[in-house]
Amino acid sequence: MAEKMLMRVNLTTGAISREPLNEAWLKDFIGGRGYATKLIYEEVPAKTDPLSPENKLVLALGPLSGSNVPTGGRSMAVTKGPLTNCIACSNTGGFWGAEFSRTGNMFLVVEGKAEKPVYIWIRDDKAEIRSASFAWGMDTAVSTDRFLKDVDDEKARVACIGPSGEKLSKIACIINEKGRAMGRSGVGAVMGSKNLKAVVVRGTGTWTASDPEGLKEALRVGMQKIKENGVTSQGLPTYGTAVLVNIVNAVGGYPYRNFQGGYMAEADKQSGETLAATLLTGKKACYACPIACGRGTKVGDKEGEGPEYESLWSLGSNCGVVELEPITLANYLCNELGMDTISAGGTISAAMELFEKGFLPASDLEGGPEPKFGSGEALLYWVEKMGHAEGKLGKLLAEGSARLCEAYGHPEFSITVKKQELPAYDPRAVQGIGLTYATSNRGACHVRGYMTSAEVLGIPEKLDPWMTEGKPGWTMAFNDMTAAIDSSGMCLFTSFALSADDYAAFLKAGAGFIGSTEEMMRCGERIWNLERLFNLREGLDPLKDDTLPKRLLEEPLPEGASKGMVSQLPKMLPEYYKVRGWDERGIPTEAKLRELGL
Amino acid sequence: MVRVQFFGQVRGIAGGKETEVVDCPDVGSLFSLLSERFGHQLRPESLIVMVNGRHIAHTGFLETPLESGDLVSIFPVIGGG
Repeated sequence: MAEKMLMRVNLTTGAISREPLNEAWLKDFIGGRGYATKLIYEEVPAKTDPLSPENKLVLALGPLSGSNVPTGGRSMAVTKGPLTNCIACSNTGGFWGAEFSRTGNMFLVVEGKAEKPVYIWIRDDKAEIRSASFAWGMDTAVSTDRFLKDVDDEKARVACIGPSGEKLSKIACIINEKGRAMGRSGVGAVMGSKNLKAVVVRGTGTWTASDPEGLKEALRVGMQKIKENGVTSQGLPTYGTAVLVNIVNAVGGYPYRNFQGGYMAEADKQSGETLAATLLTGKKACYACPIACGRGTKVGDKEGEGPEYESLWSLGSNCGVVELEPITLANYLCNELGMDTISAGGTISAAMELFEKGFLPASDLEGGPEPKFGSGEALLYWVEKMGHAEGKLGKLLAEGSARLCEAYGHPEFSITVKKQELPAYDPRAVQGIGLTYATSNRGACHVRGYMTSAEVLGIPEKLDPWMTEGKPGWTMAFNDMTAAIDSSGMCLFTSFALSADDYAAFLKAGAGFIGSTEEMMRCGERIWNLERLFNLREGLDPLKDDTLPKRLLEEPLPEGASKGMVSQLPKMLPEYYKVRGWDERGIPTEAKLRELGL
Repeated sequence: MVRVQFFGQVRGIAGGKETEVVDCPDVGSLFSLLSERFGHQLRPESLIVMVNGRHIAHTGFLETPLESGDLVSIFPVIGGG
């Protein structure tokens, strides 16, 4: 791991270079999300337009990416996000990260903008900028095959954008291996803005631990825990992430029809159990993953991957669509067009509510089907239009729900935080996750502090989802731990079985530069604070931006187990700032920054 | 009458998605009845058990009272995101 390098490719000048990693940054920020955020903070000028050549895109690995630790193959895209104007870090599984690790690099920093469509071909320590004109306009699946042919190496791995990223859609993602996504915050549009269609990698190097004997012991302990844990050894492999549909619906927190409700009577028809009994063709595992939560599926003669829980909910329940077939086809389409499924579903559901309430005129549909809740036909049609940014409504949809609803004069129907669409847990039924959404550094996000784990699933402790007491402290702990895990190159799903001590043991033996659990958690806290500093520098106003949509604060849930409840965010937010060591305006204090060495 | 719904692998043990019970004043007696009915020892501490959408950890665990019209949901330990 010690010999890993940082590669820079400037698409304006064509310059390609490699440089050693900054050891102090590794020690302070671990790698991946943390290190890349530090780089963006230092190198991208304040107030840079995210879609301008001055923004940089970092494809990053953690120090454990490419190793044999369980799930050690994660990679991520870090940049200033065009959807949110905040820091963006979108994390993916699959095999691209492990292959990139074998090239001897830990980071690829893409700068500038190419004159014409290009792709970057990295083979070990060499890189080339090649024309991608032949693939421009093609979907991610076809593009992937074309790039593999162009490099004449079927073992290479491709991360690319689809038409959505080319059209600079603010909800465009980067797809690797056709079905895995660096999904959120519009990172695909940053690639598109640089005329960069793909990054193709192939390496022949190996990953070595700094303490092989220590790593063996850490592996023995960690693998045993994963094997014995019911979530990682049974629930996720058998039913995938969609196993959550029924339980989240049971607590009344399964958002329905653009968060107009939190309960769907027909939820079991789109559950993980039903998916396993109908469309599932086999489970899929990412690199070095003993869990295998991925779903291979088939609808008619079309095969693909997913839908995951989040995608299934956003394109399903949130759009009022019940049946699995149109939801699954819409998920395939999002992958092919290169769109974040959460934001895609959240934007179409907002359009459906605008239409239902009479604020989206039929003339704007330009002959397309009426976007009515429950219509699978409308879902598929408008996903396609959104992905190609075609027609009046298609162009608006491609901007995400915040800009769509503003355009129609009704921002209240956009269920977003910092302009990013909410994930699949209603904060009225699950109080702590609402605090995560409101304070997440990349806009609404569940994996910036997965409070649902404690509040609904009872892991690591059973917290009452209706209560607010103690939630700020828990949220902070989840925030910091997640930042550390993301930065390590491992998958968050291991945290159902592993503790902070286990991750610290992997980092200590694997990377060498993190000495203890306390040190690792301090890195997580430092990363969280640096992300906050970046956002404040870019114009974040905590008083205005650390909040939830009005609907969730004021409109009680109309039915289900949490009927009558609203989010009690105002009770939790001041305490969250306090436990974080921030002032009452949500700004890190001098003392906190000094303590963290920031 | 109390409705009892099963999810995930628990459906395999129960042999279906749902059943109904009577004369179970609390969750403890419900689990005794179900274990006898299915010929399989169901352990609430290793499952997620909800009464009307509330985890029994927050309502009295085995002493959580049951009344006619209540809905009990039984899940295996699960996760995701």
